[in-house]
Amino acid sequence: MNIVLRELRSNLKSLIIWSGCMATLILIMMMEFEAYYDNPEMAGLLDAMPQALMKAFSIAGPNLTTLIGFVSIASVYFYIMLGIFAVLLGSSIISKEERDKTAEFFLTLPISRTRAISAKLIAAVINCLLLTGVTAAALYSSAAPYNPDQEFLRFFRLLMSALFIIQMIFLSTGMCTAAVIKHYKKSGNYSVYTLLTAYIISVVISMDNKIDFLKYFTPFKYFEAQYIAASGELELKYLIISAVIIIAGFTGTYLIYPKRDLYI
Amino acid sequence: MNIFIYEMKTYQNSIIIWSLSISALMLLFMAIYPTFAEDAALMESILSNFPEEFARAFGMGGNLSLTSVPGYFKFIFIYIQLAISIQSSNYGFHFLSVDERELTADFIMSKPVSRRKLVISKFSAAFSGLIITNTITTAAGLISIELFRNGNSYDAGNILVLMSSTFFFQLFFLSAGMLVSVSVKKIRSVLAYSMGLAFGMYIISALKEALGMKALGYISPFYHFEPGYMIEFGKYNMERASISFAFIIVSIVVSWNLYMKRDIHSL
Amino acid sequence: MHAIEFHKLTKYYGKARGIIEVDFNVEEGEIFGFIGPNGAGKSTAIRTILGLIFPTSGSADIFGRDCIKYGPEIRENIGYLPSEVFYYEKMKVIDLLKYSAGFYKKDCTKRLYELADIMELDLKRRIEDLSYGNKKKVGIVQGLLHQPKLIILDEPTSGLDPLMQQKFFDIISEENSKGSTVFFSSHILAEVQELCSRVAIIKEGKIIKLEDIKTLRQDNYKKIVVKGDNLDSSAYRIEGVSEMTGDTRTLNFFYRGDINKLSRIISSQKIEDILIQEPTLEEIFMHYYK
Repeated sequence: MNIVLRELRSNLKSLIIWSGCMATLILIMMMEFEAYYDNPEMAGLLDAMPQALMKAFSIAGPNLTTLIGFVSIASVYFYIMLGIFAVLLGSSIISKEERDKTAEFFLTLPISRTRAISAKLIAAVINCLLLTGVTAAALYSSAAPYNPDQEFLRFFRLLMSALFIIQMIFLSTGMCTAAVIKHYKKSGNYSVYTLLTAYIISVVISMDNKIDFLKYFTPFKYFEAQYIAASGELELKYLIISAVIIIAGFTGTYLIYPKRDLYI
Repeated sequence: MNIFIYEMKTYQNSIIIWSLSISALMLLFMAIYPTFAEDAALMESILSNFPEEFARAFGMGGNLSLTSVPGYFKFIFIYIQLAISIQSSNYGFHFLSVDERELTADFIMSKPVSRRKLVISKFSAAFSGLIITNTITTAAGLISIELFRNGNSYDAGNILVLMSSTFFFQLFFLSAGMLVSVSVKKIRSVLAYSMGLAFGMYIISALKEALGMKALGYISPFYHFEPGYMIEFGKYNMERASISFAFIIVSIVVSWNLYMKRDIHSL
Repeated sequence: MHAIEFHKLTKYYGKARGIIEVDFNVEEGEIFGFIGPNGAGKSTAIRTILGLIFPTSGSADIFGRDCIKYGPEIRENIGYLPSEVFYYEKMKVIDLLKYSAGFYKKDCTKRLYELADIMELDLKRRIEDLSYGNKKKVGIVQGLLHQPKLIILDEPTSGLDPLMQQKFFDIISEENSKGSTVFFSSHILAEVQELCSRVAIIKEGKIIKLEDIKTLRQDNYKKIVVKGDNLDSSAYRIEGVSEMTGDTRTLNFFYRGDINKLSRIISSQKIEDILIQEPTLEEIFMHYYK
């Protein structure tokens, strides 16, 4: 238990900074919504827009003048931001003992490495939950003045769940990479560039629909806001894939880290 | 010179990897161009029924058609900028903080070199690394365009103006990283800072583009060096670029002064 | 000219004390000991004269030149060995040493190989593969290869086995006999005693004693052990006696004062054996830190 607390405390500053940035970004973004909200001229134009065109330019939402449409556009950026947070957290929470030269102290304490991982995992998940929470709170409170309806609330709940799932995917990726790769600098690089690659893939896919199958390799395509808005659910196939990745990542961490030599 | 050469050696692998990755990315994007141009032609014919302001709001306005080489290139160049910004921030947050983080500061600073020389050598090495990457990727960009332009024409001069702006774009992130690393006590993880800065700026600019966040957009170099303007008019948008120029000068001056007086702590 | 002159050198880290008005000189050509426990401010003083940190007030001169203003020129003649050595992990030993040598105006190659030979250093290995002791050897070679006029050692012997320690001391003495000044900071007194001619003792950031190592030992205390059958300890409780321990068979104490007074007391009692010793620096030291 005291490891969990220690980990929470050591990541507190980073969490506060990220929360602050997310909240500020969302509040400023939602201030812009006023110009679009219920603007009939804009709505008329948008209704006439062909779906294919909007998709091509990642204007994901069906209608910018509604809350759902407006938030949809920003959703992929939420995924990226929180993904970065999670992947960095996952990677550093495992490798920081070596980076900060505390490994000899930490791992000679009378606890097994498995327990150490569990404690770190709990702390990391709490961190992700809190950041998703702050994002949700900022988004909800800045949407409140625009009379969010039931449909929006449903969309909002699903989007936030997707956000958390994506964080878990990247958290497990980050932790597993740090468990496999001994050198802490390399493991951080690998996990971050995995995320960058995933994002670039998602961009390329949206430009050329012949390579749609690459979707499976980029979590940023799993829960597209446009789909959530239209169907009112998260796609089952991607939920399963996400679960597999998350479980594989955490299991890998549990299996590999306890057996590996420390980099001192 | 000693330090400069050593530093260049440490960047060697990184320069190679970044140059190759960014070049590959250019090639990949341009390879999609022929198919994309066909689809885009169809969409643009639909879009032509809508008023100009509307198209502009979605970054599709102006005189550049997405089916044209310059129009397409400005569209993909944003992602090239994203990659460049990450590399530049990595170097920026790294080069002055690494000796303190890895505790080699005692070694290097007990040698007969002044801090002035140390900073200049390290800064030049980092920036040279970026310039090398930039040169290689510019060449790769021009080659990719030639390979896949599909008979469409483009103005190479304007493309070069765009590519040249990358120097300042890189300097922005390099000097911002430097400023932060001399302002804080210790940078534990370069990546956390550089990803935050690069993606943060990218997202601010992307949201500005899509939703029109006026005030906030002005802080982002992605906005200052937005490819569309340069590729269309063949010159910098000075009104915006000067914000970056000013920031670069201020942060170099401030970092310099802070570093000259900085206490270097041991373990 | 003095090798080092401290002029009321003071350093605060924010509000935390580093050193306060440190003021003394190190003569050219001597081996000067700088002793104090952990956290007394030894490293702070050293890091200031190396220009790693900046004084809050006061100054320090090396060979007559201000250590901040003329940092690079001064460091041309300084060799520094820190207590914890960290080098570029990816480099080979020889590359690091050559890199290091490249900073000095003279050609250091010959001395580099000589020293590496004495320290039995494997030049082809990577720094990251070296043990702590071996890294320390790299540090020694790196700090001495340019035959500096001033050698600054900050707790240099940790991590060296006794054999290497002896070799290291031999090298230091040799350098000293060739004219180098040595500034030797340590909390291990035996090694200071072995090498140094003068010492400064630092406590909580302040210099509390500056003395010849001989005077420090001779002028002050005698360590006395008296053995007998039925000793009366109360008879010895005169002015100048301290730290008395023992029982009716053996008495240990320190004495400072007129030795005749003590001998009269001793001769008035029946004793079996008496031992009068020079206290070790360690024991003197304990006294200062009480």
